[in-house]
Amino acid sequence: MATATTKLTAVRTPETLEDKFERLANDWQTAVAHLSSSSKRDNHPAYKEIIALGPPVVPLLVRDLEINHRHWFAALATITGANPVAAEDAGKISKMIEAWIKWGTQQGYPW
Amino acid sequence: MVDLETIFPGLAGATYQVTSPATGLYNCIAWSTGDLSRWWWPDALKQRYWPPGVAREETVAAFQDAFAGLGFAVCQNESLEPEFEKIALFADDEGPQHAARQLLNGRWTSKLGELEDVEHDLHDLEGVEYGKVVVFLSRPIAVP
Repeated sequence: MATATTKLTAVRTPETLEDKFERLANDWQTAVAHLSSSSKRDNHPAYKEIIALGPPVVPLLVRDLEINHRHWFAALATITGANPVAAEDAGKISKMIEAWIKWGTQQGYPW
Repeated sequence: MVDLETIFPGLAGATYQVTSPATGLYNCIAWSTGDLSRWWWPDALKQRYWPPGVAREETVAAFQDAFAGLGFAVCQNESLEPEFEKIALFADDEGPQHAARQLLNGRWTSKLGELEDVEHDLHDLEGVEYGKVVVFLSRPIAVP
């Protein structure tokens, strides 16, 4: 009796920008959540990889900032060169999030 | 859910307790000074709070200066002195990584990055992540 063998071929779909961002963001958060050092947090390889995604990732950063409150301040400042946070609000996370969301809205970013 | 004992092996088998929910609104340096409104760090981009006039450097000296602005001075050890509040600064080869504050019962409280606050024995957080305690600081407890 002939044996029928089925060969399964995995089809890998290309990772979208959003998928890549989510993967890196989750890796980063898991790795640095217990750290206070902003330099360690902002220089983690996953964080730097997110920065390397460049301007297309900005709407995803602003959206994640709004929804998950993850600290994308250094990434946004590095990618865009902007700094919408008032000096007196440095470190005040809620105020910083507000400022970046307002900036994103003014720039016309969709998220 | 983050397993604190995996990150900080010194907590495994030790007596510690989580005392507040996780929040990214403040960090350990802020918590050690009683400031729950800001994330303190001398980052180069000046995104986080650092006291004006203090060098934005990740050095023990700069952190001591930051605490000095709130009345803290270097002290000898971690022993409980009822008239003083104490902070322990942790550092590794890359500089300061963490600060813990002594409680009235002699134990210590720490904010773990953006995770929870925990009450713990001081040296249970020493290790790869935070390094070791390198200096103690104290200031007189304000009398109401």
